[in-house]
Amino acid sequence: MFFYYLDMGWRSIRKTPVLSALMVLAISIGIGITITSLNIYQVMAFNPAAERSDQLHAVQLWSQGPDTWDDYSTIITYQDAMHLRTGAIPRAQAAMFRTGQAIQSDNPDVLPELRSVRVTDSGFFSLFSVPFLHGGAWTEVVDQQPAYEIVIGKAVSQKYFGKVNSVGEVLYLNRKPYQVVGVIDDWNPSPKYYDPTNGSFNDAESLFVPFSLAPVEEFAVWGNTNGWQFEPMVTYGDRLVSEKSWVLFWADLADEQAREDYRAWIQSYIEQQQEMGRFTDTAKADVQLADVAKWLEVNKVLRKDNKILVALSALFLCVCLVNILGLLLTKFLKRAPEVGVRRAIGASRRQIFAQHMVEVTLIGLLGGALGLLWAWGLLHVLTERFHMDDALTRLDATLWFITPSIAMGAALLAGLYPAWVICRTQPSVYLKSQ
Amino acid sequence: MRNIKPIISSLLRSKSGPVLLLTQIVLSVAIVANASFIISERLALIDRPSGIAEAQVLSFRVYNFDPAMDLRKQNQQDQLILRDLPGVIAATSTNMVPLSGSGWGDRYVDGPDPETAKSLPGFSFYMGNEHMLNTFGVKLVEGRNFYPEEIKMGPAAKSQTALITKSIAEAHWGDESPLGKVVYQQDIAITIVGVIERLQGAWVDSSNFEYSVIQAVDFGGAMSSTTYLVRAKPQDIAQLKLDIPKALHLENPNRVIDEFYTVAEHRGHSYSNHELMAALLSVMIVLLLLITSLGLTGMVMFNIQRRTKQIGTRRALGARKADIVWYFLTENYVICAAGAVIGVVAASQLGQQLMNHYSLPQLAWQYPAVTVLGLFVVTTLAVILPARRAADIPPSLATRSV
Amino acid sequence: MLSMKNISKVYQSELVETHALREFNLQVSEGEFVVVTGPSGSGKTTFLNVAGLLEGFSQGEYLLDGVDVSSVSDNESARIRNEKIGFIFQGFNLIPDLNLAENIEVPLRYRGFDSKERKRRVEQALEQVGLASRLKHLPPQLSGGQQQRVAIARALAGEPRFLLADEPTGNLDSLMARQVMELLENINQAGTTIIMVTHDPELARRAQRNVQIVDGQVCDFTSYQKSRSTTSTTAEPA
Repeated sequence: MFFYYLDMGWRSIRKTPVLSALMVLAISIGIGITITSLNIYQVMAFNPAAERSDQLHAVQLWSQGPDTWDDYSTIITYQDAMHLRTGAIPRAQAAMFRTGQAIQSDNPDVLPELRSVRVTDSGFFSLFSVPFLHGGAWTEVVDQQPAYEIVIGKAVSQKYFGKVNSVGEVLYLNRKPYQVVGVIDDWNPSPKYYDPTNGSFNDAESLFVPFSLAPVEEFAVWGNTNGWQFEPMVTYGDRLVSEKSWVLFWADLADEQAREDYRAWIQSYIEQQQEMGRFTDTAKADVQLADVAKWLEVNKVLRKDNKILVALSALFLCVCLVNILGLLLTKFLKRAPEVGVRRAIGASRRQIFAQHMVEVTLIGLLGGALGLLWAWGLLHVLTERFHMDDALTRLDATLWFITPSIAMGAALLAGLYPAWVICRTQPSVYLKSQ
Repeated sequence: MRNIKPIISSLLRSKSGPVLLLTQIVLSVAIVANASFIISERLALIDRPSGIAEAQVLSFRVYNFDPAMDLRKQNQQDQLILRDLPGVIAATSTNMVPLSGSGWGDRYVDGPDPETAKSLPGFSFYMGNEHMLNTFGVKLVEGRNFYPEEIKMGPAAKSQTALITKSIAEAHWGDESPLGKVVYQQDIAITIVGVIERLQGAWVDSSNFEYSVIQAVDFGGAMSSTTYLVRAKPQDIAQLKLDIPKALHLENPNRVIDEFYTVAEHRGHSYSNHELMAALLSVMIVLLLLITSLGLTGMVMFNIQRRTKQIGTRRALGARKADIVWYFLTENYVICAAGAVIGVVAASQLGQQLMNHYSLPQLAWQYPAVTVLGLFVVTTLAVILPARRAADIPPSLATRSV
Repeated sequence: MLSMKNISKVYQSELVETHALREFNLQVSEGEFVVVTGPSGSGKTTFLNVAGLLEGFSQGEYLLDGVDVSSVSDNESARIRNEKIGFIFQGFNLIPDLNLAENIEVPLRYRGFDSKERKRRVEQALEQVGLASRLKHLPPQLSGGQQQRVAIARALAGEPRFLLADEPTGNLDSLMARQVMELLENINQAGTTIIMVTHDPELARRAQRNVQIVDGQVCDFTSYQKSRSTTSTTAEPA
C-alpha cells in the first residue's frame, strides 16, 4: 500500500507542479536557513573533550586587586603557574602558552618559516589525548630541568625530514637545535578548547616544546597578556615575576574528591600568598575549576549572534510551516471530490490519511534535499565572502541525518491538519455534484 | 471598502485559511522587524569611520630569529629602509594595528596621587614615533606632532608625551583643551601635546573603540617580532608587498616577513561577524517576504477557483472588475491589519526576549511600523495578480450549472 | 439481502430540521433489480447514501446481507462498501488523473489484493463492459457512455453483492443510456442485486420492481396512485 500511496503522492505533486514547487521551495528555504544557522551553532557548541569533559579542568585564580576585573581571568600569572605545577593531586597537568618560532632543519631545500609553537608540559599530551605515531612526550624530568626536546606533527615531520618517523632528528627553532622525541598524528580539536584565546577555531599547533624552556629561551607570548595594574615589562624577567596573567593551566581531576582536595590545596596556597601581599582582593580571592563545558562558556566560544540566528531561523521555519500548511489545505481540499469517490469505494479514513501523509512526507523529503543544497551553498558563500573559519562552514556529518528528519518532521507537522481535514471528508457531499 | 462588513463575517465563517494567513503575517512582522533592527544596528557599527586612510596603510610583521641581532638598532635601520622604498609615503614601527582585533589597552589617571586622581576612559594604547601620525593619515585638530627627540625607547621612561583623540578629551575635560595636561601611568608623567580628530582602536566590539592614544615610544625591537605600518598609494601596495621583504632580507636574511594586510583588510576581517549577521538576516527577510507573498498568492488563487461561480454571479449582478479586485484586496487588508496589530505586539515581545537573553538594545518602534507598511505593499502585489484574473471571470458563468 | 425497517434520517442545521427519511421501510431480496423513483427532494439520494453506508441514520434498523449495520464504525462501513457494494454515479466520478485500469484498481488496492489478482479482475471487469482495449486511456479521453461503463467496471471489479446506481444514465444521451441500461440488466441477470435511483420513466418501466419515495417514505405503487388522485404531487407519472 505504501508504494501505492507513494505513486499517488508523486502523481499529485506532478499534477500541480506550481503549487508543489511552491511547497518544496518553502520547505527547502526554511530548512536551508535553519540548517545553516544550526550547523554553525552545532560546530561552535561542540564539546571536543567528549567523555573527558568533566574531568579536565582549567584552573582560574582571582589574583587581581580589588575593584579591577569583574570576572575570573582565563589565564594566570607565571608565578602561580609555577606553583600549580608542583601539585600532586591531578592525574595529569600542564601549564601552557603559545609562541612563534622560525623553523629550520638541516635540509637546505626547505626555507625557514615562522610557525606557532605550544610551550607546555609533558602532561599536555595525556590531558588532551594527543595521538602519538612515534616516540612520545619528553620525560617529566625535562619539565623540571629544561632540555631542547620537541614533539612535532606528522605534516611537519614529512615536510622537514621527508618521513613520518623523525624521532631522534634535529629541528631548529630560532636557530637552536631541538631533538625530536615524538611525532603525533594529525590532531586538530575544534573548537580549540585547550586554548581558545585568539581564535576558538584556529588550527591546533603542531610543534610542542617544554614549558621549562620559557625562562631560558624567553619565548614571546603569542596570546593575551592581561594586567590589572601598571607594570611596564622591559625584560622577560619582569614578565616572569609580574602580576600579569598570560599562562593557561589545565589539570585532570578524576572525581569530586580530587576536585575538593585540589581546591583546598590551592586555597591554602592563596592564603600563604596573601601573607606575602598578593591576592589582595581578600573578599573574592579564590580558585575556580572550569570543566570543558564551563570553559567553553567562559570563553564565549558560542557567540550570542549564533543563538539569535538559531532562534530567528526556528521562527522562520515556523512561517514556512504555516505557509505549507495553508498550501496543503488548499491542495487537499481541491481534491475533496476524488477523496469522496475513494471513500465511497471503500477507503477507510486511515487509508486516506496515510495516503496524504505519504504525499506530504514526499514533499518534505524533496524540500529537505533541496534545503540541504541551499545550506551547503549558503555555507560555501559564507566561507568565500566572510572568510569564516572552514571549521564553521563544513557541513556537520550529523546534519545529513538531522536535515531530512527536520524536513520530514516539519512537513508531517504541517500536513497533519490538512490530512485530518481531508480524511474526514463526508463522501456523499461530493458524489452528487460534479 | 464599502463591503467590508460582509467580508469580515465571511472571513469569520471560514476559519482555517484566514487564521493561517494571520499567523504567518504575525510571525513575519515579528521576525522582519527584529531582523531589520539588528541589521541596521550592525550596519551602523560597520559604518563608523576609523579616521585612518585605511586602504593606504599596509601592516606587516618582521620576525627576527638571529640571536646575534641588536633588535633596537635593527628596528631603526629597518624603518629607514622602508621610508626609502619607492612609493612609500610614511612608515613607522608600532605595537598594534588598528581594527586588527589584537592590540594593547590601557588607562590614564589625571593626577600623580593615586588616591585622589580620576581615571580617564580606557583606551587603545598605540606606541609610535613622529611618523605614526602621518602613516595613519589621521587628522591633528589641536597641538602638534611629536618631535623626534621626544621619542622614548621603551614604555617605562619617566617623562613622556602623547597624542589623544578628541573623544577622550571631551569625555574627561569637556570643552576644555587637553593641551599641556599631564596624565599618569603609575609614576610616569605624560604630557598631552596634541589632539587627534579620530582614531579607532583594535577591537571593533570594545566599548572604548573610539578612544585611542599614541604615546611617543618607539616600540619596535622590544621583542623579536616587530610590526610595521607603511603608507602608500593603494595602487603601489601590491608592489610594496614584494619590495619590502626583498629590501629587508637584503639587510639581514635571518627573519620571517609576513602577514601583509592593509587596514582595510583588517576592517573586513574584524567586521566579518557583523557583516555575516547582517547578510544572513537580510537573506532571511527577503526569503520570508517571498515565501509569505507566494503563499498568499497560492491561497488567493485557490479561493478564486473555489468562488468562481460566486464571482460570476457577482459580475452578473453588476459588479465591475474593479469591485472584484477590491473584494480580494479588502479581504487581504482586513487580515493584514489584524496581523499587523498582533504582529507588532509579537515583535516587541520577541525584541524583549532578545534584549533579555542576548542583551540586544531595545527594539525601536520604527521597525515594526515599516515592516507592517512593507507587508501591506507586498501582500497587495501578491493579491492583485490573481485577483485580476478573477475579475476576468465572465458573468455568464453564473448561469451555467456545471 | 437488504432490509430497512423504520429508518429515519434527520438533517439538523442551526435553523431548520429536515426529515429526509421518515419511518422508511424497504426489503430487497437477492437478485432483484429495484428502481427507485420520486420527485426531487423526496429523499432518493439520502436513501441511496444510507443504503450505501455513506451516511448514517438517526433511527431504525438496517440489515445488509443479514448483518446489522445500524451502528458500524466508520472503518467497518468502509470495508463493507469495499467488499459488498458497488457504486455507480450520475457524474461517473472517475478519478481523472488515473487511467482506466488504475481507476478500476482503486477498490482492489484498498482491499489489499496483490498485483496479479488486481490485474485479473481489472481485465475481467473491462471485458464485461466491453472496453478491454482501452486499459491505458485516461477518463477524459472517453465519451460519457464509455466513462460510465468504466465506472460500472470499477463497481464490478470488487465482485460486490449489490450495486447502487444513482441516475447512471442522467448525463447520457438516449442511445448510450440504453446501452448502459442493457449492461446493468446483464449484470443483474448474472446474479448481482441492483438498486437504481432514476428520474427516467422509461428506465423505471423496464425494471422488475419499482419503488417510489415521496417525502422520505416509500409509497408502494397502489397507495401512490391513490395519493396522486387526491393530492396533486409533482412526481413524474409512473
